[in-house]
Amino acid sequence: MSIRSIDNSEKSKQTKTPAINTLYFYLTEGCNLACRHCWLAPKRDTTEHSSPTLPVDLFELAISEAKPLGLSSIKLTGGEPLLHPEFSRLIEIARREQLSLMIETNGLLCSPEIAAEIAKSANRFVSVSIDGADAATHEWVRGVPGSFDSARQAVINLVAAGIRPQIIFTVLRANFRQIDEMIPFAESLGATSLKFNIVQPTARGEKLHETGETLDIAELIRLGRHVELSLAPKTKLRLFFDQPHAFRTLSRISNGDGNNACGIFGIMGVLSSGQYALCGIGAQIPELVFGAIGKTTLKEIWKNHPILNAIREGLPDRLDGICGRCLMKQRCLGSCIAQNYYSTSSLWAPYWFCRQAEEAGLFPASRRI
Amino acid sequence: MNYLAKPIANPVVVLREEFDDWAVLFNPDTADAVGINPVGVTVWKQMDGTRSIEDIVSVVQSNFEDVPEAVHEEIVAFVQMLEKNGFVGLALKSNI
Repeated sequence: MSIRSIDNSEKSKQTKTPAINTLYFYLTEGCNLACRHCWLAPKRDTTEHSSPTLPVDLFELAISEAKPLGLSSIKLTGGEPLLHPEFSRLIEIARREQLSLMIETNGLLCSPEIAAEIAKSANRFVSVSIDGADAATHEWVRGVPGSFDSARQAVINLVAAGIRPQIIFTVLRANFRQIDEMIPFAESLGATSLKFNIVQPTARGEKLHETGETLDIAELIRLGRHVELSLAPKTKLRLFFDQPHAFRTLSRISNGDGNNACGIFGIMGVLSSGQYALCGIGAQIPELVFGAIGKTTLKEIWKNHPILNAIREGLPDRLDGICGRCLMKQRCLGSCIAQNYYSTSSLWAPYWFCRQAEEAGLFPASRRI
Repeated sequence: MNYLAKPIANPVVVLREEFDDWAVLFNPDTADAVGINPVGVTVWKQMDGTRSIEDIVSVVQSNFEDVPEAVHEEIVAFVQMLEKNGFVGLALKSNI
């Protein structure tokens, strides 16, 4: 047994303009599901109605503007990215530009052909959302009959194409008892990892919090420990419970548990409307939209936008409340600035999870400054 | 580092043990912290200025299974990291 240690003196504060590591493309304004917890609340796309999608020329322009600023990867998300009518063209562009590719999908449109197309990219990571170990549970969450079989088949198609995806499971009161069951389910499909997301109190997720359809803070903390300490050691799947750093075991952090901070210093969001934004939150909060592709250069926005510069200058030292008094703030950076801003209109507000834990006397004493 | 050096834990530093046997070393003067595993906790508890690195290695070897051959080097590196962060001082052989 060797010594392992984690030093919190690794300062994350930015002293100069960082590189843009990743563009997050929110490709579609609409979605073909109607998930109860969605933090973006997209319009529902049906066979009769299609919402706008990001034009390919703007996708290319954003990439060409970001590459000189350091771009090395893109994330394709939505809405539902596979609804984009030229999805194959987009991943072909990503391949041509030698960008690492991340895709978040509900799987409904992930045919064997699409999976094979994605697999042509050398560096790709795909996550498929499945919120239950059975159809009734998943479809209660996702709002569309038949979506469970489609999502399951998507994982199978990806595995057949040589991609072992991550399954993302969003924890709700209606499905949390299936967490243990999800492990053999994900193993049987050939997934490489299983991530348990917590519902953010944004858009539809905010209503779920208000109506008690999410777990309370004590339940979430217990569940996080159960996943990290009881379930993770028993499976070859990599398991992640997406809780703030203060609640993660040091052993998991030391092992590089994959639950990193959101990377806010190196991310720019691109909305389906062709606008640059902090991330998808720009669809909810206009002041977090920074400009339009082709009208303001990304270089100008990235170097000079006052909100981005405030974040670089202020994080993590200006964080308020428990986040400002947390030993993990250099790593965690307030967990999700977009969420914090949505809830309070302050970039420096504490993350709701940690604030609630502190109020309930459940914030770990060992992680306080 | 001299293997015969006897490390002394900075008395200001607080050992905060967690539920899974890992722990946080916290310096309230600087707000610096280091997370350490159970082996590190054992090493920390030996650093009272009376035990040499060799002594501490012996304690680790008798308390843990699968101790690597490079345990000396690992403990020296660990103590050096703590020393760099101001968490320990060293009582050198010539001073004792």
